[in-house]
Amino acid sequence: MDEMIFLEVLEGDSVHERHRLERFPATIGRAYSNDVILDDPKVSPEHLRIERREDGALVVRDVGSHNGTWRVEPWARLAELELAPDTRVAVGDTVLRFRRRDHAVPGTVITAAVAPKERVFEHARAFPVAMLALLFVSSLETHLGNYGRTDWGELTVAVVTPLTLTLLWAGGWAVASRISRRRFHYRTHATIGSLVLLGAVALPPLMSALGFSLGLGSGLSWLYHATFLLLMGWGLFWHLRYVARWEPGRLVRVLAVVTLTFGALSRANDLLGNEPFSTSLDFPRTLLPPAFRLARAQPVDSFFEELGGLQEQVDALAKEE
Amino acid sequence: MFVLFLVAVLGQAPSVAPSEPGVLPPARSEPDTAPVPAPESPPAVLPPATHELFQRIQNRVAQVRIIERRSGTRSSIGSAFFVSATGHAITNYHVVSDVVLHPEDYTAELVLRTGGEPVPVRLVDVDVVHDLAVIQMDDAVKEFIALEDREPPQGARLYAMGNPHDLGTTIVEGTYNGFIQDSLYERIHFSGAINPGMSGGPTLTGQGRVVGVNVATMGNQLGFLVPVKHASALLTRALEAKQDDAPSLVDRVRAQLLENQQRLTEQMLAAPVPKQKLGTYQVPGRWIPFLKCWGDTPHDPEAPYTVTNYQCSSEEDIYLSSHHRTGVVAFLHQQASSQKLGALRFSSLYSALYAQDPDTVEASREDVTNFRCATEFVDVEGLPVRAAMCLRAYKRFPGLYDLVLRAAALNASTSGVDTSLTLGGFTADNARKLARRYLEGLSWTK
Repeated sequence: MDEMIFLEVLEGDSVHERHRLERFPATIGRAYSNDVILDDPKVSPEHLRIERREDGALVVRDVGSHNGTWRVEPWARLAELELAPDTRVAVGDTVLRFRRRDHAVPGTVITAAVAPKERVFEHARAFPVAMLALLFVSSLETHLGNYGRTDWGELTVAVVTPLTLTLLWAGGWAVASRISRRRFHYRTHATIGSLVLLGAVALPPLMSALGFSLGLGSGLSWLYHATFLLLMGWGLFWHLRYVARWEPGRLVRVLAVVTLTFGALSRANDLLGNEPFSTSLDFPRTLLPPAFRLARAQPVDSFFEELGGLQEQVDALAKEE
Repeated sequence: MFVLFLVAVLGQAPSVAPSEPGVLPPARSEPDTAPVPAPESPPAVLPPATHELFQRIQNRVAQVRIIERRSGTRSSIGSAFFVSATGHAITNYHVVSDVVLHPEDYTAELVLRTGGEPVPVRLVDVDVVHDLAVIQMDDAVKEFIALEDREPPQGARLYAMGNPHDLGTTIVEGTYNGFIQDSLYERIHFSGAINPGMSGGPTLTGQGRVVGVNVATMGNQLGFLVPVKHASALLTRALEAKQDDAPSLVDRVRAQLLENQQRLTEQMLAAPVPKQKLGTYQVPGRWIPFLKCWGDTPHDPEAPYTVTNYQCSSEEDIYLSSHHRTGVVAFLHQQASSQKLGALRFSSLYSALYAQDPDTVEASREDVTNFRCATEFVDVEGLPVRAAMCLRAYKRFPGLYDLVLRAAALNASTSGVDTSLTLGGFTADNARKLARRYLEGLSWTK
């Protein structure tokens, strides 16, 4: 029989140390005289001993430890235990697992047999390009939105704010990557963050320009909301690709649930039809130069015919209560 | 604007509201006897002393208390005066509006000068447009004031009576200054101190003839009266009415509002819309005399643009409740142009102007629905405009609406005119006719 077994020191679900035991009896404890040394202050200098019984089975035996030895499932103090595959034993704060050499491992995760493709975010130039685009769009928007004298302070804020936000945001993700993937991926996270923020900055003016050009009413607000959620989901997806080890499919499903829930909660009032009382007039206010107009101008008659529809709507509202 | 005399004891702020009248006043003041020439020395023809008038009239004036049922105490006060032997008294609609709109929550009672317990009163009829109401108590009264309609000369001395701020019956001297010019709702200008709580009290000549009913003040001795002829008309109607088939008060208020907006609409549609030049545009000007128009161009040497405002408003409205007004016509034009801004930066300015809405007519959740809007590009005789039209319905008075029309000319990249029209308390059909006439008053003169 194959006598060799592996003793694994666990940390959570993962293996912290792995020792190969070939000769028995083998001793385990805090003292340097042991075959396996555990640096756990609650473990006794001489704690466990693994030996072969006369019938050939391997047993682990407590050799008079101070704090005892515990079987993990079910939790029970033991003096001697016959080792079965995957037996887990607790000594002090340390959990040990015993596995045999013939322990079956799961199948290999199949990946495409191509050289790892560098994603566009990982490209060395991607970050400066994305960041410069963000800063340019942000300051352009501030400049065009200001119809007074040029306000340099405001322009500075328009540059510093997205820069700071992106760097801090990327920092948070980088720490998460470092913890779970052992690499920071800071530049990649910063690129993704810049692109998301670029989208968030450019989306509102693009949407209102679209609404103006086509002469649409408030109907675009749903499109705007949906696009915004899509942008948010996209950003989270790529950030998490560098943090979690999940399959893309699973990640997409989880993010779909998260963003849709978020979207539904942020529009809960509309979805439930709870409209708070308001004296404000709800119609799009964007005006652009005449060249932006694509929709045809209606004759005055047909514009005022719409009053009939409005009248029906407000009459229905008046009857509701 | 006018401040109503009603004292709101329980947190209702004294409000601003005028009502519409259109009548002549009756009273007569001391100097009315024909020959009162300036040169004569005063003593001989002096009017009766104020204290004599007070002695004579005091029992004909009473305090109105609006009692909130649950707290069992008064929620607001006003004044009233007796006009018939059968206990009819005149007061303001705004004094008793809570009883009209929430009869289940409020009742009215009169506190008589002669003492005794407050007497419960019944609301007989109202004239919401002129801000008048007739109330009646069951007991007969010995002394009352007969209503006659005669206009005193300007400068005649008048005496306003009432119970300001619950301080007790008070008499206040002032002068008659005729009808307010070009007003939407007819009012007499009384130069004397009228204060909250005096609403509904009479203003009399030295002979004791009623000229008008105290209704509002702008402070500083600027008082306003409802001409007595509206009170006589309302009293006549109340006395003739049969008890049986009378519609509810709320229905009567609605009918009066409908009639009033119809009158306004006809008056406005009959008048051509004058063209006012603003930059390279022509916009609707002072459409009808009751509109008061103001304009200005703020000069900021640092601003790379200029915006010229031109606004007209009736500056008067009809009081429906402490937070609901109606019967309003107002509009505002803002003409913007710039030599220095590019097309896109000018668009930001223009969008900001278009995003500012005029103050809508005051109303609360229990009065009106939310607005619903429609927006389009509209071709106004060759001038493309971005237009939006918003409508809300009155909940208590079906068939009446507030309409706001917004429009911005889109024919040039660095100049434009933005306009808004507010119509408070019109039928949808009349509002459409007026708004259409207004929008068609917009043109480009290049």
